[in-house]
Parts: sequence; structure tokens; C-alpha cells
Amino acid sequence: MVSVITINKINIGKRLILVGVIFINSCGGPRDTKESIAFQSTYAPNLSVTTLITNAKIIDGTGADTFNGSICIDQGKIKKISSYNVLYDKIEKVDINCEYTNKIDAKNRFVTPGIIDVHSHLGNYPSPSVTAHNDGNEITSPITSEVYAEHGVWPQDPGFDEALKGGITTLHILPGSANLFGGRGVTLRNYPSRTVQGMKFPQAPYTLKMACGENPKRVYGDKGGPGSRMGNFAGYRQNWIRAQEYQEKRNSDRTNTSRDLQLETLADVLDGKILVQMHCYRADEMAQILDLAKEFNYKVTAFHHAVEAYKIGDILKENETCAAMWADWYGFKMESYDGILENIPFVHEAGACAMIHSDSDSGIQRLNQEVAKSWAHGNRAGLNIKKEEAWTWLTSNPAKALGILDQTGTLETGKRADIIIWSADPFITYSRPEKVFLDGQLLYDKNNNIYPRSDFRLGYGVK
Amino acid sequence: MIRIFNYFLIILIFLINHSAYAKDLLITNAKLVIDEKTFKENLVYTEELPTDYTNNIHENITIYQSMGARGNEPITYFFKDTEVDEIKYFLDDTDYVIKNAEGNWVTSGIFAPFSHLGMADIGGEDLTNDISSPGSSTTISEKASDSFNPQSVFVANNRRHGITHAVISPAASGNSVFAGTGSIVNLTGNYNSVVKERAFVLAQLGEKGTQYSGGSRSASLLQLKEGLDTANCNNDRTCRNSLERAINNINKNSYISNSESEFLKRVIRGNIPLIISVERAIDIIRVINLKKTFERLDIILLGASEAWKVAEQIAENNIKVMIDPHNNLPSSFETVDSSLKNIIILDEAGADYAIANLSALGLQGIGTLTQHAGNAVANGLDWDKAFAAITSTPASWFNLSLINNSLVIWDGDPLNVTSTPTSMFINGQEQSLESRQTLLRDRYNPINETEKAYKYR
Repeated sequence: MVSVITINKINIGKRLILVGVIFINSCGGPRDTKESIAFQSTYAPNLSVTTLITNAKIIDGTGADTFNGSICIDQGKIKKISSYNVLYDKIEKVDINCEYTNKIDAKNRFVTPGIIDVHSHLGNYPSPSVTAHNDGNEITSPITSEVYAEHGVWPQDPGFDEALKGGITTLHILPGSANLFGGRGVTLRNYPSRTVQGMKFPQAPYTLKMACGENPKRVYGDKGGPGSRMGNFAGYRQNWIRAQEYQEKRNSDRTNTSRDLQLETLADVLDGKILVQMHCYRADEMAQILDLAKEFNYKVTAFHHAVEAYKIGDILKENETCAAMWADWYGFKMESYDGILENIPFVHEAGACAMIHSDSDSGIQRLNQEVAKSWAHGNRAGLNIKKEEAWTWLTSNPAKALGILDQTGTLETGKRADIIIWSADPFITYSRPEKVFLDGQLLYDKNNNIYPRSDFRLGYGVK
Repeated sequence: MIRIFNYFLIILIFLINHSAYAKDLLITNAKLVIDEKTFKENLVYTEELPTDYTNNIHENITIYQSMGARGNEPITYFFKDTEVDEIKYFLDDTDYVIKNAEGNWVTSGIFAPFSHLGMADIGGEDLTNDISSPGSSTTISEKASDSFNPQSVFVANNRRHGITHAVISPAASGNSVFAGTGSIVNLTGNYNSVVKERAFVLAQLGEKGTQYSGGSRSASLLQLKEGLDTANCNNDRTCRNSLERAINNINKNSYISNSESEFLKRVIRGNIPLIISVERAIDIIRVINLKKTFERLDIILLGASEAWKVAEQIAENNIKVMIDPHNNLPSSFETVDSSLKNIIILDEAGADYAIANLSALGLQGIGTLTQHAGNAVANGLDWDKAFAAITSTPASWFNLSLINNSLVIWDGDPLNVTSTPTSMFINGQEQSLESRQTLLRDRYNPINETEKAYKYR
């Protein structure tokens, strides 16, 4: 009988979601609530330099073939991107409409969009990893959707600077995976700042970290549960039911609904404002999570760690759910035992949204190599994926999974000028970023010794 | 019988009696990649190293690896621009396997200088994990080889990456800075794949070491020294008794039994290396100072994130270093000066170094070792030095000569992430590059057009 009651509640919830959407739309957009103005981004890059990058070999991140061209940057945005044949004398003609204060000849080097890491713990598990720095996981209850990753991010983590040298311009910081509902994730610009607010990606949607499998049941098995995968699912469902009730109440009378931070996050997921990023290794478990999402009418934006995504590429495609994967991490726990080197290309080949992620302060520095490895293994297995398609695993697909593809992830007119100039083909190990631009601002220049340095780095290095 | 073959520049010696019990191997059309040191050591005789071999990439080389001599070590010969028929002349009537490398890169096998390969099935599952033994009262005498499973899926999964040999090591735990005795294995997956049972002893200093010795650097260094002192007593009972009594009174953890100290004697005599895991520059200096008392210690530093700050002392004292060239973050206060230039500065100082993948997952997933070496090159190290650091250099530290045992044919530059082995030979025997991972790959490959259900593929 319990299941019947549950189904009734779900049906009520679904109807009310629709009512809520109509209500909000009729008001002409969200009101300026305390909730919406809290912890706003103060990100303010220097947009004054206008730059023309000429003679570039461009992989634009859309999947299109590499082309030779130039990029005109104005007010931090890509004002114009033009392609031309290698005839050098044509460049000036093509670029004649670009007013610039700074001209960079890429000398036929590869130029790509800045890399986006969709799964990082820089700042909330910073270096040095002393116990006082463990701010990435609120391991006190399996349900902590009330916490925000940004409140645990230390902007002086030296890892941000090293990631920039690896071409990372945007990164998504998540709470850890001990809890069923871990809390809100935050998308950051990799911009040197004294504050987290100064790094927050303006208008990027919040995300919700959820976790499958071994971690929650291991952590809470002797602390009241969940103690099994069954308990995990019961925990998700019970709390989505609470969230639906809260959502219903909030939609019918917002002013008289006292705020509940835990349910606010979940209700925002049900309202489609927060994107679900779910730690999940096993194929069968991902398939069950997709059913859970159908039961409560929300969307799983991406599975993270998805070591077995290659087994269910078709299901991921059908559900329009992305998979964030490693190139070759596997085998460290049972649910990661079936990892293969062709995971990313196989998911891509199935037509689903595939991407790389690091989950590592070291791996984040070389994500291009991780993609290159995967790409090569995929083609060796008989696929025929172009480098340019594989590049989408580094920038455009992560941007899509974070809801910021309209702003970054590709080199297209009107987008943020997040750009890397490489020393050579980025699919070769020996190639490293030489220049990294964030909103058109040159933040890293290998050959001219321009690089950010955390406060923490000062006072060391004395030989 | 010695013949000198001048016609094609390369001089080779032929002195093996071909009463073959294993087939000889002939690899033709190879782009041979081998560092000069290995090359010299493996040429049995040469009047003069041809100038062609001062570079490290040699086109159109034919390699003949003989497994023919019963009881003898296999020996590799190099021919340049030599026709197969002419080699046959040297092979006499021996039956041999021909492998055409089709102009691809041929190298010696990759030697992983540090790992826990085959010592755990699932790192996170205690019962399957034999990397450390926190509840055990013995430490030094426990051999990694006794925990090694040659048929662990990780062996075949890593063989696929060109790794032919690996150092396997226990990790420190419990109440001792001594982790145990490490071994060397090959990756054939055979039951007899332990190449060296007692290859080294590992001691853990630094922040981690303090956990096993009472809580401070002072205690862990003392424990290490007392262990060495005890072993140094040799069979002098008076020396041992007084030392043991003293140690017992001061620090029970430092007590080293007779059987344990037997293992350490080889270390004291310099017969096998003492690997010491240490990071901070001043801690490295303290380790170097151990040589003042124990002159014959053959010390290998493991980790050594701040080695670059004391690179000259390291080189002067003939201390060897195993480092991970990816480490550049101040992950702890003892690695605040981690730097990508670590390996470059050690190289400039003339220190002897090997490249290891020391990340937590790298200890089983050693297949990424070539990527780590490749990144050392990306950061300025010479290619041949980086390659030697994952082949001949660490192999020589354990008195192994790799080229004699193993060869890998690659589909591209082995230090580039997009390259992979196409063939592998260990002890002259061709190895399978199939593994649990490739079987999963084949079952789920999107181009697999079989109608069969997944479990029947």
C-alpha cells in the first residue's frame, strides 16, 4: 500500500509543477528574492585590451575542421573570427575591420578554446592538503543539499594557477561524493581573485551534486544508513517527495513559505533551475537513476566518473544525459573495475554527449593529453573520430553540461574570448599552452614569464 | 666463435651455441630507440661505436634476439641495413621467428621503477589488498613477491601499455618505518615471473613516516638508524644485545629481530638498495648523511619532491632518485617546493634518476609511465634521458639489463600519449596484448555488429 500512496503524491507533484511554471511566467520572470541576490558574482576581468590573433591554426570547438584564420577580440569577446587560406598576404585584408591595441602572430600554431573542467575540487580540497583544508564534503548526513561548494572554496589554492598553465579557463567545483545529496556546485572562471565571488561565472546556473553507489553506503553504513544501494535509492526518493511538497507550497504561496535551504535546492532542481551532476560509476545504476529522474520529473544533466558509460551509450543518448569520464582511471574500487580506455570515444560514437573530467589537481593540468589518449584508443578500436570532434570533449560538451555553452566552450563570434595558443598540436604530449586568455585578458604567457602566483607560494622556493 | 661483420658498419659478435630450446627472434625494419648506455652494454663487442648511434633513433635496424643458448642469458644484436638473408648466415640453421616491425619504433620494454602491481585486486577492498600489513609484527623480512599475483588483471592491463618489468613494493604501516622487502617481476603473467625476490628494502620517512614511528621525524629517523645499527652488529652478540637492550628501553617500535636484521645486512653491505621515501630537502640531506656511518649504503630516494634544492649533494654522494615529473603542487608542507624543474635540475647536476608514476592510482595503473616521461620531455628533458629513466636506468639499479629480456614494437613515439604497443616480447617470447580491458572493449565496441546478446559475445 505504501507504493500506492507514493504514486499519488507524485501525480499531485507533477501537476503542481506545471501550475508553478505557469504562475512564474505570468509574473514576467523571477522576483528579486534574498535567495537570488545571495553571493553574487563580482567577476570583473580587465576588458580594455583589444587583441588580434593572426596566423592561427584554429580548432574552434564546434567539431568543425581545423582552419587557418584570425581572431579579433574586443571587450573580452570574440568580435570576429575569420578563416583564410594559408596565403599570408591575405591576412591584412581579412582583418582590416579589427581595431586592436595588441597583435599576436600565432605563427601557425594551434589555437583552441580554453579548456573547461566539469569536475574539480580545486579550492575545496586545496593544496596543501592539511586536515584544516578538508572543506569539500559535509560528511555529517547523507542529505546535505543545503551546503554550497563555494563556501568551502579557498581562492588561494595554488592549484588554480597550475591549472591555468594547463589551459583551464573555466572549472566546476563540486562537493564530494559521500552524500546522496552533496550540495550545490559552483562554476568558476579561473581568474586570480581574492574572493570566490570574484571567480564566480556570472549567471552560470547552480548545480546539485548527487552520488550513487559505494561511497554513501560505505560512509553511512554504520551511521544510520544508507547501508546499501537499496538504502541509497530510498534516500533519494524520500527526499524528492519532500522536495515536491516544498515546491508545491512555495509555488502556491511564496511569501508565507519559510525558507528551507535543503529543500530549496531540491525544489530548484525540480523547477529546472539547478543542473544535476551525479557521481555514478556503474551502467546499471545509471539506468536506474534515469528512471528515478523520470519518477520525479527532473533531468540528470551529467553522470560523473561514469566508468561504465560505454555500456549504455544508447540509453544516455536517449535521455540526453552527458557522461563525464576519465581517460584511464579505473580499478581502485569495485564499481570502477570495468573501466576501459575507449570509454569516451564509445559514448561519443553512440551519439551521446561525452566529455573528459579530471577530479584531480594534477590531471586538470593536462586534460588535452587525456583526450588525446582516449581519442587514439577509440580510433585504434575501429572508430573514425576526427581530432576536432574529440576536442568537443574538452570544451563544448563540458560547457553544455554546465549550462554555459552560449558563453564559452567554442571560438565563435560573441562568445567570451577564452583562448589557448599552444606550442604545437595539443594532441601531442610535448605540446603545452604558451598563452592563455580569459575574456581576452592574457593571464598566462609561458615565454614572457607571466603567470599568477597564489599568496601561499610566497616565501618558499629559496634555494 | 667470434666473427666481426664489417660490411654494414655494425659489428656483432656471435658466440652462442644454438642448441635452442626457445625460438630465436628476429625483428626487421625497426626504428630502434635505445639509449646509448644500453646500446653499449648490450653490444658484446665493438671496435668503435659508430657515429650513427650517438643519436637515439636508428632507422632500418634489424634486431636479433637470441634465446637459443640453454643456460645462457639472451643476447640482443643490432644490425643496420642488413638483409634478412645475411642475418640468416649468422643464425646458421636455427629456427627463428621473424617479426617485421614495418619501420615502426622498437624499444626495450618499459621498466616501472616503483609500483604495487599485482598486490591488490581492488585497492579499496581490504581482503584483496596485500600492499601493507599494519597488524604484522614482522616488517623488513616480508617480501612483496609473496603477495604478488601474476594473473591479476592489472598485469595484462599494464602489459598492454608496454610495461615488461616492474618493481613491486610493500608500503609502510603499523609500527615501523620499514615497509618490507621489495621485488622485481616481469609481466608475462606466468607463475615464475618473479625476477628478483629480494631486490631492495623500503623505509618511509617524512610526514608519512612519522605515523609509523611514534609521531615525529626525530623518532622515525632514529628508528631507521637503529635498524641499520642492529644489522651492522653482524654476528657480534655483545653488540647486538647491548643495542637491543638500549633500543628496547628507548623505543619498543625500533626493536629489530635477528631474522629481520638478516635482511638489512644486505642493505648495509650495499648488495641491494635501500629505498627511502622522503620529500623535503632537509630530510634528504639527513638521508645523505646516513652514508657517513653506513658508507656502502646504496640509497634510492623515492618521491623527493624537493630534490632539486639539494641536487648537487645528491649527485656528489651517488644517491639515486625516483621522482614523478608530474608533481608540481605543494600538496603538503614537505613538498612546498615541488616543481616541474625538479628532474631538469637533477639532470644538470649529474644525478642518477628514474621516472615513476607516484600518484595513488599510478601505483597499479603504471601504464601511464610513458606519459610521465613524455611530460618530462615537454618540460625540457632530453628524450633519450627521459626514456632511459623508465628503462635502462632503473633496471641497472637492480642489476638487470632490460634489452636482453624484452622488446616492444610501438605504433608511434612511445613517449607520446597517442602511441601504444603493437607487439611485445619478454624473454624472447611474444606476449599477448589482450587483457580484461580489451575483452570488455570488444564486447561493447559500437562497431561490433554481432546480433548476439552482450553476455554471448
